[in-house]
Amino acid sequence: MNGVNKTGNVLHTIKGLILKPEVSSFLIFIVMFIITATLQENFFAIKSTVRNINSFTPLILLAMGQAVVIVSGGLDLSSGAALSLFTCILTTVMKKNDPITGVYALLITFAVAILVGAVNGIGIGYLRIPPVIVTFATSYMWLGIALFLRPTPGGESVDWFRAFYKIDAVENAPAFLKAMGNFVPPALILLIIGCVLWYIISKTRTGRYIYAVGSNIESAYVSGINTAKTQMLACIINAVFIFLAALFFVGQNQSGDARMGGPLTLKSIAAVVVGGISLSGGRGSIYFALIGALILSFVNKIIFFANIPNAYQTLVSGIIIIVAIAGPAYVMFSKEQR
Amino acid sequence: MNTVMSRPKFLGSKVYEKYKKILTVFLLIVLLFVFGAVTLPNFLSMEQVFMTIKLASFTALFALCQMIVIAAGGSGLDLSVGYMATITAVLTASIMDGGNERLWLAVLIALALGVLVGLANGVLTAYLKLPPLVVTLAMADILQGIVNAYVAGKAITGRPSPFLVTIAAKFTGKFPNILFVLILVTFIVATILNKTKWGQILFGVGANERTAYLSGINVKKVRCIAFTISGVLASLMGLLLLGNMGIAFKDMGSNYVLPSIAAVVIGGVSLAGGEGNYFGVILGAIFLQTLTNLLIAFGLGDAGKWLGFGIILFAMLSAYASNRRSR
Repeated sequence: MNGVNKTGNVLHTIKGLILKPEVSSFLIFIVMFIITATLQENFFAIKSTVRNINSFTPLILLAMGQAVVIVSGGLDLSSGAALSLFTCILTTVMKKNDPITGVYALLITFAVAILVGAVNGIGIGYLRIPPVIVTFATSYMWLGIALFLRPTPGGESVDWFRAFYKIDAVENAPAFLKAMGNFVPPALILLIIGCVLWYIISKTRTGRYIYAVGSNIESAYVSGINTAKTQMLACIINAVFIFLAALFFVGQNQSGDARMGGPLTLKSIAAVVVGGISLSGGRGSIYFALIGALILSFVNKIIFFANIPNAYQTLVSGIIIIVAIAGPAYVMFSKEQR
Repeated sequence: MNTVMSRPKFLGSKVYEKYKKILTVFLLIVLLFVFGAVTLPNFLSMEQVFMTIKLASFTALFALCQMIVIAAGGSGLDLSVGYMATITAVLTASIMDGGNERLWLAVLIALALGVLVGLANGVLTAYLKLPPLVVTLAMADILQGIVNAYVAGKAITGRPSPFLVTIAAKFTGKFPNILFVLILVTFIVATILNKTKWGQILFGVGANERTAYLSGINVKKVRCIAFTISGVLASLMGLLLLGNMGIAFKDMGSNYVLPSIAAVVIGGVSLAGGEGNYFGVILGAIFLQTLTNLLIAFGLGDAGKWLGFGIILFAMLSAYASNRRSR
């Protein structure tokens, strides 16, 4: 009798564990990883690993930034538009034959990124407009500015900017860097920068405040936390992540495009949800946004292997996103009903 | 916080408070027209004014979808309206094929599609408690995806029925026919919202979810119905857009999403829910259309339009937000 009870307990614990958002998203990640690894030839070869990392990176960076905002109790519908804007500014400031303009472009775009985050943050934190609607408004502001700079895709980029995509492609890069680039793709370095950035922030007071504000803004305010400032900082951190993704994009394409980032906004939100982070804020680990983004990317790969025609891509990804967002909510819903 | 309560209220100031927002929009429109008349020739001609009203009517009708969803509260917004219209227009164009005989079938399809998509939005947001903007944005993706798949590798054929062209595109004398549609819709909306219990229920749910629930109203159901109405209206808008443009194309409706929300905000409807004044929303739509005309006249094109709309929306949100800040 005792034994029966024990197995029952164990089963119950397992069930409880699986229903935990983080555990379930990690399990899904492993399953997707295995499926993709079987479908893709030479999945573990360095070349295809590098290629995979390259194609996954922008979404991962955007999702991690999005996760910071979501954990702080906000939501950013402008992240894709901001990404496009940054690529447009980078490629407008840079002049192909003048390497130093690359440095100017980096500095100017970084300043703009801070500003973009601050504007979102002022709307969310200080003016207390609902986050979704304020970032919806700002997304059109970024789109408008990007269209002013670059009505059609294009622009120039300095040669050394390719280092953000492939060090090999830079003509006069030092040999040891080129050798390293074959094993450690720049995209991975950008990702590590992002993770380290969040690691440092999470150890500071701001990191804790972000969770406090997200889980209960009233009590955070009453206990003396500057909630508005915290939410603004979360938006600025997000903008820095988007900035990193923009560097990668320009390195890869050598051009800017005012409408390129649009579809990534929703994907980044979906990645956060798939990563087990609660949309109501305050709960979930930022690193799990990385897991969520990887899951979505693997799903994309699997769709690619399934040979679905290009015309159906938007439809399929839309359905996946709705399922990804509604699935966890449905689990919560049925739990509540019981 | 108490300043508002302690201020003495006279009848005049009460009327002023009630219509303050509408007066503001009206003044803004006048301001734009004066600015246009001074800087541009022909800006204030009769044709130009009626053209503005005609184009604004479409935005205003799309904004009605938003207003109903917003009024039901729960930070509701419907980003799928434009895409809903596109898919209806694209799918029904070939069915009507330039004749009135099969208009009934097109309307039937529009209604069915609208109910289906609106209901899906409603269930996902009201029952599963997902953020409406995220759900409707994903729905927009799906609808655009269906359109992309449907039109892939072939031209969209078919023309709207002459009846639709008459009510959407033609003029009676100097008045655009769509204006009469808008007036009729305004009358119906005003009657339902102000004179029937449906209006009270809708506003009640939006104003205070808890109170509405305690007085026996099924809050989730009301919100779900609001989304369904929005879907149906947006779908019917697809027919009108098709009638106005004469052909269907891939992104004919998507440009109306931001203006529809902006018109509601500029019209003075609080995004917190529980209120709605369609007259103000119509003025908001006229304001946006006048602004667009000005921007186009100055050669600022798409970039200027989106930047301008974004800034106006942000500014209006900030202005109204400062009214209700209390902490």
